[in-house]
Amino acid sequence: MAHTTIITAPEKVTPIIKKEQYFSLSFVLSRVLNSGVIMSIEKNENELKGLEKSIGKLTQSKYVSLFNSYTGAVHAALWGQDIVHGSLTRLEGASEQDQRFLNWLGVGLVTDAEVEQGFEKVSVTWDNLPLLEHELQQKLQQPPVLVLDFTELGFGPCAAIAANDESVWTKAERLKIFGAFDLKTMWTQEESEPDIQPGAQFNYRLSPLVAACVKLSLLRRNSSHED
Amino acid sequence: MKTDFIRKPLSLPSEAWINEQLAYYGGPAVIPEDSRKTTFPSITKEDIVQMLVSIQQSPEEVIHEFTEKYRGYVGANYAIATASGTSSLHLALVGVGVQPGDEVIVPAFTFIATAQAVVAAKAIPVFVDIDPLTYNLNPALVEQAITARTKVIMPVHVHGLPADLAQLRALADKHHLRLVEDASHAHSASIGGQLCGSIGDGAGQSLMADKNFPVGGEGGIAFFKERVDYERALTFLHETGIDYRMSWIAAAFGISQLERLPYYDAIRARNASYLTNILAQTRLFKGPYVPEGHKHSYNMYRIKLDPEAAGLGDLPDYQVKEAIQELAASEGVFAREWQNVPIPGHLPFQNRKGFGRGYPFTLSERKDFGYHIDHFPETLKMLRSTLTICRELRSPIEYERIAAYALAFQKIDANPSIIRELVLKNTAAKKSYERDARLG
Repeated sequence: MAHTTIITAPEKVTPIIKKEQYFSLSFVLSRVLNSGVIMSIEKNENELKGLEKSIGKLTQSKYVSLFNSYTGAVHAALWGQDIVHGSLTRLEGASEQDQRFLNWLGVGLVTDAEVEQGFEKVSVTWDNLPLLEHELQQKLQQPPVLVLDFTELGFGPCAAIAANDESVWTKAERLKIFGAFDLKTMWTQEESEPDIQPGAQFNYRLSPLVAACVKLSLLRRNSSHED
Repeated sequence: MKTDFIRKPLSLPSEAWINEQLAYYGGPAVIPEDSRKTTFPSITKEDIVQMLVSIQQSPEEVIHEFTEKYRGYVGANYAIATASGTSSLHLALVGVGVQPGDEVIVPAFTFIATAQAVVAAKAIPVFVDIDPLTYNLNPALVEQAITARTKVIMPVHVHGLPADLAQLRALADKHHLRLVEDASHAHSASIGGQLCGSIGDGAGQSLMADKNFPVGGEGGIAFFKERVDYERALTFLHETGIDYRMSWIAAAFGISQLERLPYYDAIRARNASYLTNILAQTRLFKGPYVPEGHKHSYNMYRIKLDPEAAGLGDLPDYQVKEAIQELAASEGVFAREWQNVPIPGHLPFQNRKGFGRGYPFTLSERKDFGYHIDHFPETLKMLRSTLTICRELRSPIEYERIAAYALAFQKIDANPSIIRELVLKNTAAKKSYERDARLG
């Protein structure tokens, strides 16, 4: 008899939400559901911008791009720096998932310290949320691109890249079908900008509902459960 | 608290509106400016209650419940819920066995994600022109495009009209190819009662905001007929580390929305039927052609223009289209181009950067990929001579709104001399595919 199995990321099985986190999740969700956030990509654009702005402040970065998964953000962090199929990069503390994903992208992973680190990463959880600024300060020494993974907050796969180089952001947005440029104008890249013309594109677009939940979690990260 | 509801209802429609002066020239618009807000499905108490239930389950349980319920509804054997329609297509292709460098036949007229999913599978999209009646992949042209590298035929049920799967299946069987449906527009659409998504060897379907079944903003689902293909897709996810998981929030919305999908489908079908019947009474406009036994889901509604029947056959078709678009917009009807350039004419296929350094296009021995838009005359003709209404049939569109749309087309149909006047005035109009390509 036919049946389905749920897929999970190979190396990062989403933990079951702890009971003590129900209140936080319920609070965030009920606020989002009552905010008029409905299923319109254009109308909900503000939710995505709001989350980008919050992350920008937190990371003291000029440019933030959102993704519907950690691997989407990794892809964008590399593509944004022209680390593409056939390139080499270095990652400190590369997980098995990182290694497999880079292998699929056709990007070679090396340990040579001469090679610049591809990106720095931070996983945001309910446990480190109140201390996020402190953790980010430690990570923000010299990274060209920071990958933030919000998946463990429990709203679903959600990640971002933060950078100060505009070209990284521009290229990262180009990797997404309906990235910033496309959604605003619905136009594809013009011939006059050959450097950022799209290649393979993926739908890495984050659901505005998930974005709204993550944004609210970030905004109330220093609040306790009573509100 | 913000509301999802429209604040101002439309007046009850009247046939007298047809004879009023066109809004373009100062007459009353059929749909006044303050009543043009697009309606989206509202969040209901069922959604809220489902969310309260789902929040107490693990994300995996919620996604599993949604996947299983929708798989059963579609009648597919196996399913994997994903983050987007593009990722579901990618998984469907990999699942049926597409390998780097393989060729996949797709229609030249679709959304860019169809062809980008082929590139994501590290395969080469081979574009084929459309059927002039259905605007779907033309089976008569597919056979010519089959080579020793072809692995899959991937038709798209564009706008929700099922493609000719019987003929395509026969071709696939004859050449030992796999058949993968892009069912992104085709929720609840069917052929002979069998739902799109369950007919091919594999299928991908978008569940994003603009679709008939829009779950929680973004999502998708891949379907498989054979267990081996389904397992191959799961193995691929494991081996590559790619995270294509759907958010449980979207899945929870999917569970509650699925209960009312048949009602929404019925509203859309009723609206489409009403509009098609009215357009059949005009000279200029014609609704979509639907073959016997096919059930259209009307995610979009493409209107064919017939300038000749209205005495405008001496004018360039694309200029007539542009004039009508302008007149319709002033009446409050957003009839527009959906796609203006055949997909092979978009930059990712013209430049073929792929994953970088031209991969996977570098795996092909082709000198000419056949991506020049002149290879697709029927697509070009359709782009010159049709207009699409995208959200206007979707539930919960009320009767008076669909009636108003019909009246607006009747009002334009009654004024061919004004169309001629506009065409002669706007000599700078270009064919749509001579402009930069739009995504939608």
